[in-house]
Amino acid sequence: MPTSAKWWIDGDESAAEMLARVSAERSVSLLPPPLHRLPLRVGNVVELVGPSPSAKTLILIQAAINTILPSEWNGVHYGGLERSVMFIDLDCRFDILCLSEMLKHRIMNLNGSMNKMNQDQEDIGMQNFDTRRKSNIAYDEELYTLCMRRFLYVRCYDSFEFLSTLKTMHCHLQKEKEVKHSSIHLLMIDSIGAFYWVDRATSFLPSGSTNRKSLSLQSVFETVVQEIRKLVQVHPMLVIATKTTTFGDRNFANEAHRKYLPDTLDFRNAATNTRQLPYQENMPSVWQSFVTHRVHVRPSDHVTIVDRQNHSLYLSEWLLPSLSYLDKFIVQDGGVFLHN
Amino acid sequence: MAPLKSLEPEFSAIDSHFQMFCVSLGIFTVEDFLLYDLHKLTGFAEQKPNSERLKQGITQLLSVVDGLHKPWMNGMDLLEDAKQNKHILSTGCEGIDMLLGGGLREGQLTEIVGPSSSGKTQVCLQAASSVAKKHMGSVVYIDTCNSFSPQRVASFVGLVSNLPFDQGAKHKILQNVMSNILCHSVFDIFAMFGVLHQLEFKLRSQKGDNQVQLLIVDSISSLITPILGGSGLHGHALMLSVGYLLKKLAHEHNIAILVTNHTVGGEGGIPKPALGETWKSIPHVRLLLSRDRGNNICSVSIIKHSSMASGKAASFMIYG
Repeated sequence: MPTSAKWWIDGDESAAEMLARVSAERSVSLLPPPLHRLPLRVGNVVELVGPSPSAKTLILIQAAINTILPSEWNGVHYGGLERSVMFIDLDCRFDILCLSEMLKHRIMNLNGSMNKMNQDQEDIGMQNFDTRRKSNIAYDEELYTLCMRRFLYVRCYDSFEFLSTLKTMHCHLQKEKEVKHSSIHLLMIDSIGAFYWVDRATSFLPSGSTNRKSLSLQSVFETVVQEIRKLVQVHPMLVIATKTTTFGDRNFANEAHRKYLPDTLDFRNAATNTRQLPYQENMPSVWQSFVTHRVHVRPSDHVTIVDRQNHSLYLSEWLLPSLSYLDKFIVQDGGVFLHN
Repeated sequence: MAPLKSLEPEFSAIDSHFQMFCVSLGIFTVEDFLLYDLHKLTGFAEQKPNSERLKQGITQLLSVVDGLHKPWMNGMDLLEDAKQNKHILSTGCEGIDMLLGGGLREGQLTEIVGPSSSGKTQVCLQAASSVAKKHMGSVVYIDTCNSFSPQRVASFVGLVSNLPFDQGAKHKILQNVMSNILCHSVFDIFAMFGVLHQLEFKLRSQKGDNQVQLLIVDSISSLITPILGGSGLHGHALMLSVGYLLKKLAHEHNIAILVTNHTVGGEGGIPKPALGETWKSIPHVRLLLSRDRGNNICSVSIIKHSSMASGKAASFMIYG
């Protein structure tokens, strides 16, 4: 494409632009638990592995909120990056209301209003607030809208839609950058193995020409990796992909689950218990070698009480690089929190 | 797969010359193009004598590819779509409505898991009659095990409308409700694909009143379990294809989808859903249904919800 070639040549930047870029690229310690343990940078490819449900999508949403929020707004510190986020939904289960509620919750919390209220109550209670409070909420609306606009989304129903999304993403991101002046920081894919079975079954031998690429799981993933690699070069961003494992069903097969989950949550034992991979790796090697970081999340059978409410406890563990301790976290209205 | 030749009438730069160039690199279809490295392709085009024309072809092909995926949306677009088009439908079953914050959501696939005679079909019939009556929408009922019962639907309609209507008015309501429920008997997965594709075609060509609001598959597991097993490769692929087709129908046409999944004996005799691990990625909401022995009280709990914590529970009565 001539336009992209030109872009490559014009790619030089001023010192001020470079400083802004570098400082933005370095400041990636904003990820929610369990991704906070290591300093993740632009260009890294993180795989979030776990059974369903294990709060994987929630972790993505939380990471998105941390990125789309500004660092500061009207004197209030929000500590975000004020950058765009791209969410490619291969599971087709993303719920915008979930993101919206969590974002509202976060803005209101940081704004000093500690009232935990859902939207309905907010609407009814509006009349009772004094005028100062009203203006505060109006500001929130503006901030909220700005943040929501920084969240970009495409859903794909098969691998070809996924490939065509990746292939044309550069142009869209470029347009986005020109219109909104905010560049992308985070690419999220939920979940990368969604079309695994369909692609494995549809592979067939090529016909018509010897140099024709055969359509298979392998060739799809080769292209996916190639496209993301090229995108990351032009639009420096962090990539987080979730992957569903087919290990143990918490509600129905507790027995199988216990085989590798120790009854007591002993941090020192964690490493010895997970020598062998706690799940079956079935992705093509081209994807596996593309991944630079891997975190395993899973639900535990334990329930913990926080703020007089029961919360199920989730466990997370770094597999790549291998860190020898387990983090415990819970999911609340405001997002994902570490639990000690 | 769309061969490049089929694009010729619409796109001037995708002429026979460009097609020849593509074929020489092994690109016969749009899908082949998707799998090909764009930079490499541009590089090859630049070496040819009429590179400008070829590059025009590549740009046009790229615009074709851009139309293959769903449009980009931002958070506000999504929110507006959710608020405008994705309504909540009451199932007519208070326990479940309360648990789900009002009922089934359009655009989502809700699954009921439970052992036999736990009330799965009852919930389906009740939801069908409730949507056909209260929401005045039409319901597609895919019956895979001959369990659809018009008598029971009629009795639910009678239960809901215990207003002092005269016989004639009551009869008219009943007739409206019954004509809004379209029942298909489907006994294998391929017939299922047929019905769903037909429905998709119908929905795409007609816009207006009497939209389909609810699609029920009772039960999805009895269609799919026969094709699983063995090496499992094609069975799994068909299962997920049906799942994605349902999710696509739900989202693109704002339909709430309700499917049932029976349970089988798992490890150590603990019952588990017949459609297990791989199917799990399909439903937005998963409800577990169970019934106390000896009485008509059913209890229902959330196993998985896209925006609610799992573990919440409620109970309701079975009638009739």
